[in-house]
Amino acid sequence: MAPNRKLLYKGDVNRIYDDEYKASQAAKKEKLFIRPSRQRKMKNAKWFGIGMGIDLPFCIILLVLLTIGTIMMFSASYAFAYYTQNDSYYFLIRQLIFVVVGIIAMGVMSFFNYNKLHKIAPLVLGIAYVCLLAVLVLPAGDGGVKRWIPLGMFNIQPSEIAKFAVILFFAHWASKYYDKMQLAKFSVLPGIIVFGSIAMLLFLEPHYSGIVIIGMLTVLMLYIGGMKTKYLLIGGVILGGLVLVLAVTGGLSYAMSRMDGWGQALEYTTEEMWQTTWQTRNSLYAIGSGGLWGLGLGQSRQKYLYLPEPQNDFIFAIVVEELGLIGAAIILLIFALLVWRGITLSLRSKDKFGKLLGIGLTSQIGIQVVLNILVITDWLPNTGISLPFFSYGGSSLIMLLAQMGIVLSISRTANIERQ
Amino acid sequence: MEDNKKKSTPPKKRADKGPNQRLRQRTAVLIILILIVGFGATLLRLSFLTMVQGSELQEKAVNQQLSDTVLTAKRGSIYDAKGTTLAESASVWQVVLAPINFENDEQRQAAAKGLSEILGLDYENVLEKTKQQNYYTVVKRKVEVEQRDQVMELQEKLTKDYDCGAVIQLLDDYKRYYPKDDLASCVIGFTGADEQGLEGVEYKYDDYLSGTPGRIVTAKNARGTNMPFQFEQNVESEDGKNIYLTIDEGIQSICEKHMAQAIIDNNVLNRGVCIAMDVNTGAILAMVTANGYNLNDPYTLPAETMLKIKELPENEQDAEESKSLAAMWRNKCVADTYMPGSVFKMCTASMALEEGKITDSSRFTCGGYMRVEDYDIGCSVTSGHGTQTFLESFCHSCNPAFIQIGQLVGIDKFRDYYTAFGFSEKSGIDLPGEADDSFWPEGQMGLVDLAVASFGQNFNITPLSMITACAAVCNGGYVLQPYVVSKITDSKGNVVKTMEKKVKRQVISNETSKKMCDMLAAYPEVNGASGGYVAGYKTGGKTGTSEKIGVEKKQSSFEKDYISSFCGIAPTDDPQIALLVFLDTPDGGAYYGSQIAAPIFINIMTELLPYLEVKTDYSDEDLAYLNVSMGDYTTLSVDEALKKAEADGFIATIIGTGSTVLSQIPQVSSQVAAGSNVVLYTEGNQPEKVTVPSFIGCAAYEANSVALQAGLNVSYSGAVSSGGVAVAQSIAEGAEVPRGTVVSVTFAANTSDGNSD
Repeated sequence: MAPNRKLLYKGDVNRIYDDEYKASQAAKKEKLFIRPSRQRKMKNAKWFGIGMGIDLPFCIILLVLLTIGTIMMFSASYAFAYYTQNDSYYFLIRQLIFVVVGIIAMGVMSFFNYNKLHKIAPLVLGIAYVCLLAVLVLPAGDGGVKRWIPLGMFNIQPSEIAKFAVILFFAHWASKYYDKMQLAKFSVLPGIIVFGSIAMLLFLEPHYSGIVIIGMLTVLMLYIGGMKTKYLLIGGVILGGLVLVLAVTGGLSYAMSRMDGWGQALEYTTEEMWQTTWQTRNSLYAIGSGGLWGLGLGQSRQKYLYLPEPQNDFIFAIVVEELGLIGAAIILLIFALLVWRGITLSLRSKDKFGKLLGIGLTSQIGIQVVLNILVITDWLPNTGISLPFFSYGGSSLIMLLAQMGIVLSISRTANIERQ
Repeated sequence: MEDNKKKSTPPKKRADKGPNQRLRQRTAVLIILILIVGFGATLLRLSFLTMVQGSELQEKAVNQQLSDTVLTAKRGSIYDAKGTTLAESASVWQVVLAPINFENDEQRQAAAKGLSEILGLDYENVLEKTKQQNYYTVVKRKVEVEQRDQVMELQEKLTKDYDCGAVIQLLDDYKRYYPKDDLASCVIGFTGADEQGLEGVEYKYDDYLSGTPGRIVTAKNARGTNMPFQFEQNVESEDGKNIYLTIDEGIQSICEKHMAQAIIDNNVLNRGVCIAMDVNTGAILAMVTANGYNLNDPYTLPAETMLKIKELPENEQDAEESKSLAAMWRNKCVADTYMPGSVFKMCTASMALEEGKITDSSRFTCGGYMRVEDYDIGCSVTSGHGTQTFLESFCHSCNPAFIQIGQLVGIDKFRDYYTAFGFSEKSGIDLPGEADDSFWPEGQMGLVDLAVASFGQNFNITPLSMITACAAVCNGGYVLQPYVVSKITDSKGNVVKTMEKKVKRQVISNETSKKMCDMLAAYPEVNGASGGYVAGYKTGGKTGTSEKIGVEKKQSSFEKDYISSFCGIAPTDDPQIALLVFLDTPDGGAYYGSQIAAPIFINIMTELLPYLEVKTDYSDEDLAYLNVSMGDYTTLSVDEALKKAEADGFIATIIGTGSTVLSQIPQVSSQVAAGSNVVLYTEGNQPEKVTVPSFIGCAAYEANSVALQAGLNVSYSGAVSSGGVAVAQSIAEGAEVPRGTVVSVTFAANTSDGNSD
């Protein structure tokens, strides 16, 4: 049966794998981790070393972005670090460690057989749930917000894991039930269950931008996974209704307080609003100060405590201030190239799981870039969306680079296909 | 499993065309959404913010980033012609706290400790201030430069050691000092709270005096402390320029002294004016509006004015107080107008001479009045002056004669000269608030108007324009632009600007001017003390008594309110200085210019001309009444002393039997009349006492003989010659004084004589 299928659907390795997967599912007693000695015996089930090489353009674009991002993070954090840590290099040194760890993670992941993730997708989702629950139990951080799990040197943000878990799970789900995805119970239902449960947990943190991004990723994965387009609209209505209910019950008070000054950063009328919109207003000042050509690298003035935590979510405002519209446009172009290359190489992947996973992971980058910039330019409420490869932060950067490693791993199979 | 397979079969048909196809399509949609719509929107938004709103946002950003500290420029000083300081500024500082910026008690204590030590204040007191919740608490005012530097060090230390934000501020504070108090108050003016000039030269030259404030533009972080790297732009402040007045403190104080006395003596109700001008340059040597006010305290009215205000209903007090203040600050010399009266006859005479209307044979008849159209215009001498020459008419100050002279000139020419003398324009003096004249509009001046105008009635001019015209009359006919500032120097003393003499035009010829000088010189010669005769000097001038017309409410006890004035020059053979004095609404014993204004002129000139080192030129009569300096006869033997006293022209009387003179009365260098007694004592015996007689009403020679008879000596002052009579004596009648004591007797024009105007 399998060989026939392979003939019928040229290039659809997935088929073969699906059968194998089903077989392994049937053998429930089978161990999850297979000894290395057995790896080499399994032709299509190698943990590492599948294919020939990674996609070089994607890798180069990624490293260019990472370099620019790290330099800009240093420039943006310089003054803030000086005043708060009494050491201008405080954030740079830590970020460089994360970059190194992240690149190692990326390299390891690029050699990792992503197909193995198929098997562990539900497990990853399970881990995400554990983390999301754990963070609620742990003591709250600044402002009563529970977003971080402290892990010594750096903190883990469960929502980062959840994003990956959602992409991975739906790539797994949609490739597994690819021919049933048109049915609501195979697409909409798992979508609602997974997203709904994660959203509830994120809501308790609260972490609204996380809900938004995971919601978008869920829809995105179901959409490219084959869900009927009409469910998109239904899903939209349900999401809207949910937000409305929460708003009515007053559960959105935290976000609402942050949205108070939304779009009015420059038209503050009260002292309270002045404080609320401080970050957004100073972000706009920074962007406006940049003009076409910018003030020059390192020349930002808004980073001198005007823009709070300039190395985090609002880093791009400092980038625009220093490099101008031209610099910002070039960086956006590089991001776009990354997303473009990531999606196209994923499409060349031999299996459906790889395609979906690759597209999901690269799209996540694009979505976060767009949302981040719309936040710092006051088109979206200020809810805390970091800019990939630019914003300071250990767990998210390592997570991102590991995810990019998976995309590179996918690119190896795409290369095989080309050869 | 089987079910699944079966169920999955039907869609497989469609999927035959490829789930890949569908994936590619959906991926294309995804790419469009993210890369075109999403990235497009961000780029659009960024373009809008940077390119369209950019400059607006940048301005706001810069406003919050840059701290602009103004470096106040030191206001320039004002000096008199000889460099005496009349106004100067001293820099001081105010230490101000913004206690709300303190974050903890540790910071408060550190700041309070530092400040109390530096400023010598009580620690607890300062600590209390640091605990307040506001942005502005004054710790100490008028802090000098050393303390300020220490406070600045403290600021840095607090920032460094305690991480304080901007808690201490140093604000510029200034104080303007006027060392001479009320001297030349109407010229100098004063400054307001922000050191801006409000009156006089302080106002007019504010741009020069105030200098250019500098700026320190520093980039500040959001805490208000400097950014750690160099981001600073300094614009040095430029101190204000120093101003040198043409006013001479010596001349000014002589004028002020006599004006103040005249105001008291004549009970002048509306203040008085005195202007001294260099006739050859137009420089104002003295400008007095009596009485002035203390420039160090310009908002305090005289006590009697305040008493009057206090009597008013409460709701009118404030308005009245500001009205009184404005009146006190008003520079009557330039801001008020008056009718010049007979003083103007010097102009009318100049016109007639210049126009060639006067010949040696010109005669003017006065019958006590003159009829012009339907009006009888009277003369001061109601019986009339009879037939007079031109010079006699002037010296008599005969109104009918001048009506005739005016008619010779004619309305049009009179108007032309009026304009040419500069009456119809602003003099252009560098003082604020110069008033406009009021004269008949063109075509509306009739013969009656011409008649009264020819002796200075019914039109109004400023005192300044009158003296400017007087200068033109005697300086060769040149109408000058008067000025009070001679030069402007920068803070290092380099001359920035020098005011030059500015001739506006020549109104009469040199010859006419020469003739006018002779006429002006003749006036005191003919009229003596009532004509401004100054012993030893060739002075000239003209008196004036003008009726105030159109006053709302008569103020004086006379039939009408008057302005008594005198405008004169000295010396007449080479005019150097013109002096105008006038008293507005005298309410004392007399109101004629000859009675009350001429004596002021004489008193001022008597002091002023020696001050200016003008060569004396005494007539024989003058010499007779000239004071001489008492010689020194002590320590000499009796014989020697007698011989020396005789040689010096004194009559010596020896008292005692000793052989050597031990003491003498009057004392050495006393100013006494020639031929005075000198009593020489040879023993330590008690001086012989004599009784002081009355000198009042005596002529000078009488006074001397009265004194000699009484065993006393006189010292002449005032208008000794030319018919002056004693009006005051320094020691009261009946007093017992040692023999030989000098009594200073003041002479003045005989007010019982008929008056020439």
